[in-house]
Amino acid sequence: MHELALVEGIISHVIDFARERKGHVVSFNDAIGEFAQFDKRLIRELLVELVKGTELEKSKMTVEIEKAETKCLYCNSKWGVNELLEPLSNDQKEMIHFLPELLNSFTKCPNCGKSDFEIEKGRSVRIAEVELNV
Amino acid sequence: MSNTSLDFREGIIRKRLDKINRTILVTSGKGGVGKSMVAATMAASMAKFDMKVGLLDADIYGPSSAFIFRVKDLPREDRHGLLPPVSNGVKVMSLDLFAAGKPFPISGKGARQIIKELLTITEWGDLDFLIVDTPPGTGDVLMTLIKILGDMSSSIVVTLPTVLSTSVVRRVIELLLSSQIPVLGVLENMSYMASSKTRPLQSSEGKSLAAEFGVKFLGELPIDYEASKTADAGDMQSLLKTEFAKALLTSSEKMKLFTT
Repeated sequence: MHELALVEGIISHVIDFARERKGHVVSFNDAIGEFAQFDKRLIRELLVELVKGTELEKSKMTVEIEKAETKCLYCNSKWGVNELLEPLSNDQKEMIHFLPELLNSFTKCPNCGKSDFEIEKGRSVRIAEVELNV
Repeated sequence: MSNTSLDFREGIIRKRLDKINRTILVTSGKGGVGKSMVAATMAASMAKFDMKVGLLDADIYGPSSAFIFRVKDLPREDRHGLLPPVSNGVKVMSLDLFAAGKPFPISGKGARQIIKELLTITEWGDLDFLIVDTPPGTGDVLMTLIKILGDMSSSIVVTLPTVLSTSVVRRVIELLLSSQIPVLGVLENMSYMASSKTRPLQSSEGKSLAAEFGVKFLGELPIDYEASKTADAGDMQSLLKTEFAKALLTSSEKMKLFTT
């Protein structure tokens, strides 16, 4: 359940960000990378719960899933979450949930068979956008 | 009105590190000098002195802390993050706990992410010391550690008694000092044989290197087959009784690590 710690971190970071700029957060958008395999609804619920009583209570919050994109640095093929995660065991998927770069340990490029990936998009949860009214 | 992306992980890391009294980077720049043995033995010695200690194995290309401490359990997950498994009183976090012995081929960008992520998700709790075992070289991992931990860390530099070793280690000292990371001193490993006290190599390059940068020379550590044997066996308590561990303890006292 380290999602809770992450969501707490997101909220406190957005609040600090706005305070430093003496601004008010109109809206913020969190992107959940597919490799992190977080439950979008859970993240959304945690956000709604944890902003209560903070400056963000009235800010608009959106949560979206960010499509994963991975490039094989050996053959330049691009792959998404379906091709790379689907063949893995649940234990391996869980490890990737914590540390997405472990993809390189557990899977191979379907085209060239090498394990030399770089995650270009959709690795984990991130704050994609903050709209401030200064 | 402004639109900006943010990396919130640094805020989480900062909060976690606020609960840690001191962070020490065990560095070298050169591979094979015994950094991991130094880091592990130092951490276990501190724990034996009833200190609260964490060991972060940041040598993601060749993690060995989990092996030395015989830690196999996955970190436990709670509401604050991942709780590192404890062995011999030391909280150990290593990529190896997740990769389960698999190779970890990773680009520089990925290496930066993994270090940041490990620091983000690990809930160390209150610690007197966090010992960080760094990989050889001055690449992405060390640069990331300097960026994230820099203003709250000091460092120890491990070298061998050879000109080849000090020629590489010198660059790390330069990097650390230019990054305003205090260098507690230079440790010279494999200086003499624990059994016979003879010196396979006559020179004390570590001492000269320390003098060159005006930092403390922390002492010499022996080539100690007993230490190697006990580490291989995962017998940390016996390791702490070896000449190697005793010499390291003497060096640690020079850094006043065991006095608060």
